[in-house]
Amino acid sequence: MNGAQEPSLQNKIQFLQAILWLLFVVFALRLFYLQVIEGPYYRLLSENNYTRPTVLRAPRGMLLDRNGAVLCRNQVSFSLVLDTAKGGSLDQTLLSMQRILGLVMTKEEVQAALRRSPVPSLAVLARDIPTAWMQKVEANQDEFKMLRIEMELRREYPFGPVASHALGYVGLLSPKEAQKLRVSDNDPFIEVGKSGVERTANALLMGKNGLRMAQVNSLGREVEDPTLKLPGVGIRREPIPGQTVHLTLDIQLQNILEQAFGEEHGSAIFMNPSTGDILAWVSLPNFDPNLFSGAIPASKWREISEDPSHPLLDRPIQGVYPPGSTFKPFVALVGLEDGVLTPDTTFYCPGYWDFGGRVFHCWAKGGHGTVDLLKGLQDSCDVYFYHAGDLIGIQRMDKWASFFGLGTKTGVDLPSEISGIFPSPAWKAKRHLGPWYPGDNLPVAIGQGYLTVTPLQLLSIYATIATGGERFQPKLLEGPPKLESSVSISPRTEAVLKQALQLVVESGTGTACRIPGVAVCAKTGTAQVVAASAGRNSMSLPKDQRDHAWFAGFAPAGNPSVAFVVMVEHGGHGGNLAAKIAKAGLEYLLLGKKPAQPDVGTKAAPEDQAPNQETPPKPDAPLKARLNPQEPPRFITARYGGGANPRGQP
Amino acid sequence: MKKTLREAVSYGDFVTAALYLTLLIFGPLMVRSATFGTRFAYLGNRQMFWAVLAFGAFSLAFLIPYEIWVEYSYLVYGLCVAVLLSMPVLGHYVGGHKSWLYIGPIGFEPSEFAKVAAALAGAAFIKELVGRPMRWREIGILSGIIGLPMLLTLLQPDFGTATTFIPLVAVALYLSFLPLTQIVKWCAIGILALMLLLALGWFTFLKPYQKDRIITFIHPTANTRGAGYQVNQARIAVGSGELLGKGLYSGTQNRLNFLPAPHTDFIFGVVAEETGFLGSLALLGLYLSLLLRFLSTASAARDSEGRFIVLCAFAVILYHVLINIGMVIGLVPTTGIPLPFLSYGGSFLVSMSLFAGLAANVRSRRYAQ
Repeated sequence: MNGAQEPSLQNKIQFLQAILWLLFVVFALRLFYLQVIEGPYYRLLSENNYTRPTVLRAPRGMLLDRNGAVLCRNQVSFSLVLDTAKGGSLDQTLLSMQRILGLVMTKEEVQAALRRSPVPSLAVLARDIPTAWMQKVEANQDEFKMLRIEMELRREYPFGPVASHALGYVGLLSPKEAQKLRVSDNDPFIEVGKSGVERTANALLMGKNGLRMAQVNSLGREVEDPTLKLPGVGIRREPIPGQTVHLTLDIQLQNILEQAFGEEHGSAIFMNPSTGDILAWVSLPNFDPNLFSGAIPASKWREISEDPSHPLLDRPIQGVYPPGSTFKPFVALVGLEDGVLTPDTTFYCPGYWDFGGRVFHCWAKGGHGTVDLLKGLQDSCDVYFYHAGDLIGIQRMDKWASFFGLGTKTGVDLPSEISGIFPSPAWKAKRHLGPWYPGDNLPVAIGQGYLTVTPLQLLSIYATIATGGERFQPKLLEGPPKLESSVSISPRTEAVLKQALQLVVESGTGTACRIPGVAVCAKTGTAQVVAASAGRNSMSLPKDQRDHAWFAGFAPAGNPSVAFVVMVEHGGHGGNLAAKIAKAGLEYLLLGKKPAQPDVGTKAAPEDQAPNQETPPKPDAPLKARLNPQEPPRFITARYGGGANPRGQP
Repeated sequence: MKKTLREAVSYGDFVTAALYLTLLIFGPLMVRSATFGTRFAYLGNRQMFWAVLAFGAFSLAFLIPYEIWVEYSYLVYGLCVAVLLSMPVLGHYVGGHKSWLYIGPIGFEPSEFAKVAAALAGAAFIKELVGRPMRWREIGILSGIIGLPMLLTLLQPDFGTATTFIPLVAVALYLSFLPLTQIVKWCAIGILALMLLLALGWFTFLKPYQKDRIITFIHPTANTRGAGYQVNQARIAVGSGELLGKGLYSGTQNRLNFLPAPHTDFIFGVVAEETGFLGSLALLGLYLSLLLRFLSTASAARDSEGRFIVLCAFAVILYHVLINIGMVIGLVPTTGIPLPFLSYGGSFLVSMSLFAGLAANVRSRRYAQ
């Protein structure tokens, strides 16, 4: 032992002890800080490490017709998604896409897709992609770091363009809509209704996405490790599927009517007058809603939206036309109910009426001679109704117009309805068109002048006559009927009108709709497109200047179960095609008769029905057809009419 | 031998032995947890085998009187230096440096054993001074004895292991004639010189990965997928253990491969994640107790060579614990320094056991004459 060195050595060792304790305290405090104070934070970080939120997509509700036929359902399809959060060069990705997939996209298109997406980092580049792409994207992951394939449920309309305006179409949720609908899911594939029932019943149809926390390892690969029980892994929220929505439509009737139109444009609505249930909703030309539930190419969208025949216009509620002669039963009703007219009231028709120096013509140049109410309606004598309108006056008509809902929206459950115009002195003053002259009553009484209606408003008039004064709100969604207004029409008036309208079909202008064994009440009408056409045979004019043809009514006369309106644009006189279309519908509804041409099998599974037409690969054809012509077309592009069997059925 | 056994029983340092054994049992358990369910799962059993072997080494170091160890130290030292010199020819490449020697299927790292040999050789050198303080020349020779294997290790080039010779030099300095204030002064100068060297080296000889490690120390989140990723994940592993831990074999950072090198350099992350603050504190406590015991042995040692050996054991183990745990909890930069008794590795476990055994040896023979 070295005595001299002892104290200094002991000091040195004590110094080391002190340092050791100091280090221990520092380390212990650091551990306490990390594990106890910051512990919950790091636990959360570790949970974020091993869990990955996975959206459980809730299917949108199906659409069924009144007999249970599927009008819209969901189809599993695969989409190409760009994830900017993955890192990588967008330019490089676009080049690789062009080289490997043959998909040409500009940077601007991708940026537009990103802006449209409710998830800022994700953009849907292509939907319903060919299976070959999936393998190519998988095989070239080093080049396609930003791309991935996602499975989604795409809206599918098995009947293609049939009833497209009633059903509507869907589109991917936009950031604005996400805010409005308070959807905050991290999912770029949420579809919302943009038109039709898809839009009005969106709240019912839209489900709520679920959330599952998948267990992942450090490579981001999903692992299922039974020896490791982890908090926070599993289903956090079950998806809530959208509700199935039953429509009042009868797809068979719909199909019969659409076929009956042939190549013509126009509208047709069939409705149960005592419930407001709409059985058919025809608006032609139509469009294929399947196109919209894929990523629609800009060129295709432009083609549809700029089509001069306006296929997107929902004619039954967005087309306004003068009702023409189909308005006369309403005028007769007002006259009878308010005691201005009796069935025996007669006027003399020389073919015109000189009203204080202004000459008003009857459509029959030679005149109808002495005309009573029945004959006036049956032959649609204009002069008779000039006189009637003059006697009744605008005040009485205005009062009844409000009972029948003219000039106001019907409230049908479809978006963007337009109300026609029922002109009254107040309306005219408001529009600064000057005071109401007695001469203004005359054109209104024959359904011309300032008066305009939508086809649905006109249908509402006939349905209200059919029920004896009860007006129900038209509806496409199944549910209890809603009475809009009720006025009691005297049985005498009702009988007179029914008799007159029956005569129209039996021996008047509407004989094309005569059905043996069924008492059909209807009225033809012609809406002038060009003022000069008055009194001329409109069939001699160019097609786009010809008059519109109306045919409106109800059947059977005794206890009407259906009210209808058919409107053929530029169809000339209403007695011909419009009446024939109505007849086809009525025969199906009342007699169960199907037209000579085969129709759509209501309950047949559309998978069995192979699409009969290949989409030709033209420059602006749908993406898939352009890229991979041997793939079957994703949309049913069958056209109706022209003798082709649209559904490939025997 | 009979005498030494009796000695060992009557004055035996069972406290050191008990602390050592606790750590020895804990080690393979953590390696098992760290490799569970991975392709390295066999390392758990292998480490158990190493632990048995290491216990044999501990017993040898404990039972053979340390005078004998010191007596033959130059032989052992010479052998180690010879092996290290032959490493460029005989060594195997593992992890970027030639530091492994294979005899049949068993591989070991000669530099680990060289550390023990250097400590014993240093002790033999000090013995010759017979108690008088060292002179400058002698400090130089002692530093050379330790520096030679260190230099050879640096040439492998195993940067991490080479630094573990530094604590031996520090002990030599500490036990020299220099007063405390002088040592502090020299340390300050040393640190300044080191920083200067680092600044110089930054632009000349430091390799990109070494620079990367220094950057990561300053900005751990700057590079979340590179080296900083490891630091972050290690910190998440430690923090998410909270007070009681996630339970053995249940650490998610460990089991789902977020924690880098969980069975070697980052094994403390597994301990902290699975046993929580209490478990980590207990482990720190074990190290503290062992190191305090070494200090107490150093002041009780009967001669300066014994004191030197114990302080070498103290300094080497402290250095490893400090740098390794400090790295996992984010107090020092990431280096490849393993944690004594816990990290996977046979040579390392054996060399640490030899140090522990020698320390117990010195205490047990503090009255022997």
